[in-house]
Amino acid sequence: MKDLASRFRAAAVLAILALLALAGANALSDSIQQPDKLVILSTTDAKGKTSPCG
Amino acid sequence: MALVDNGGFYPETDTQQDVAGFMCDAMRTLGTVAVGVSEKELRWGVSALKAQVARSRIPLVCANLVDRSTRRPVFKPYVVEKIGRAKVGFFGLMSDKVDLGPSRDSLKVDEPAVVAQRLVDEMRKKGATVVVLLSQLGKVESEDLAAAVPGIDAVICGHNVPLIQKGRMVKNTVTSYGGEQGQYISRTLLTLDARGRVATGENESFMLGPEVGEKPEIVKLVKDFEDAFNEKLRKTEKERAAAAVTENSQATNHFLGADLCIRCHADQGEQWKTTSHSVAWQTLVDAKKDATPECIGCHVVGFRQPGGYQTGADAPRLVNVQCENCHGMGTRHEEYASSLRISPATCIQCHQGENDPEFNWDKKLPMIVHGNLSGETIAKKKSKGSSSMIKSTGSH
Repeated sequence: MKDLASRFRAAAVLAILALLALAGANALSDSIQQPDKLVILSTTDAKGKTSPCG
Repeated sequence: MALVDNGGFYPETDTQQDVAGFMCDAMRTLGTVAVGVSEKELRWGVSALKAQVARSRIPLVCANLVDRSTRRPVFKPYVVEKIGRAKVGFFGLMSDKVDLGPSRDSLKVDEPAVVAQRLVDEMRKKGATVVVLLSQLGKVESEDLAAAVPGIDAVICGHNVPLIQKGRMVKNTVTSYGGEQGQYISRTLLTLDARGRVATGENESFMLGPEVGEKPEIVKLVKDFEDAFNEKLRKTEKERAAAAVTENSQATNHFLGADLCIRCHADQGEQWKTTSHSVAWQTLVDAKKDATPECIGCHVVGFRQPGGYQTGADAPRLVNVQCENCHGMGTRHEEYASSLRISPATCIQCHQGENDPEFNWDKKLPMIVHGNLSGETIAKKKSKGSSSMIKSTGSH
């Protein structure tokens, strides 16, 4: 299909994958460096999507 | 930093039940600190959900789903976690307007606002300096509740809530609208005062595109699951197809496959081979979705219909998006030649929703129309690369 659509599909390749990446990188380091901040990362209504059809 | 899931993580079709367990395992592996509940998680009954929670040990929270006989909550109403300097209370709420499916006779949902006020007070008494609601109430009801119940610092809004990139403040509560189907992650940033209480809050949701990195152990977890699950589905599909072959063999009208069409329509056939429609099947194979019924239909001819694709045995003749996907069943050729016209409705059978959220017929049709021999759709697919499941971005 098209670029943006494809990116959406790729994005659906498990929120979890990126969750961990984001959690492990930016947000965690932010919270360590800024103790007066609390970061909450959230996903919702994942509907069992582990990856796009293709 | 805390990672939460708002609920609604169970798949929507019965064939995907194994995915439910996988989602629980994945959340556990990721260290998710609180997981909300929607009616989706009850689709196979509350006992099945309880079993998954016990097995995977995910911290499921729902304050207002109660047993009709005992009037007690079915799951933990909330958890309080020490995160940095803050003690954060997470609680979950379901809508009292949803159908609880097979659990409707044994469970009920208490009025969310009443339960919320009681729970906020209880968590505060237990030392929570921050209170976060995992809401499955939908956008409007979530916001109404945030306005009506003081003491909630952040609401993660779920249940058919559209993506809104920037959250907003509802009185003193910051709201999050992270979309659905795992395409986005939402980040709520709370600034704490000296006592660990929330001073200010903001929220933003981010699309999880290919630029976001991957964690090797999670990639492996996904791959191992999908390999095994695809194999299991393949066996199931084979059995179903065997039964369908007998049933469909009597049908007068049936699909024929492109090879037959091309005998007369050679030019159109050659042009079709330059389009990504002609290689649509391989994207499923690469993504290990070639046995997933929800995916197959848009990558083959006549899935589960007379003469159409039934099983992998039909692959040589009926995979890819062929002539009959757009022009109709071959045996009705004479009738369709005069009556069937390609229209947006033809394409949006597949190019819609999550498959192709920004499909534009006027722009896309010229890319595949007979006469266009540029091969641009295949070139585009190749430039993005589609060999890896995780990096697979092509479709159809």
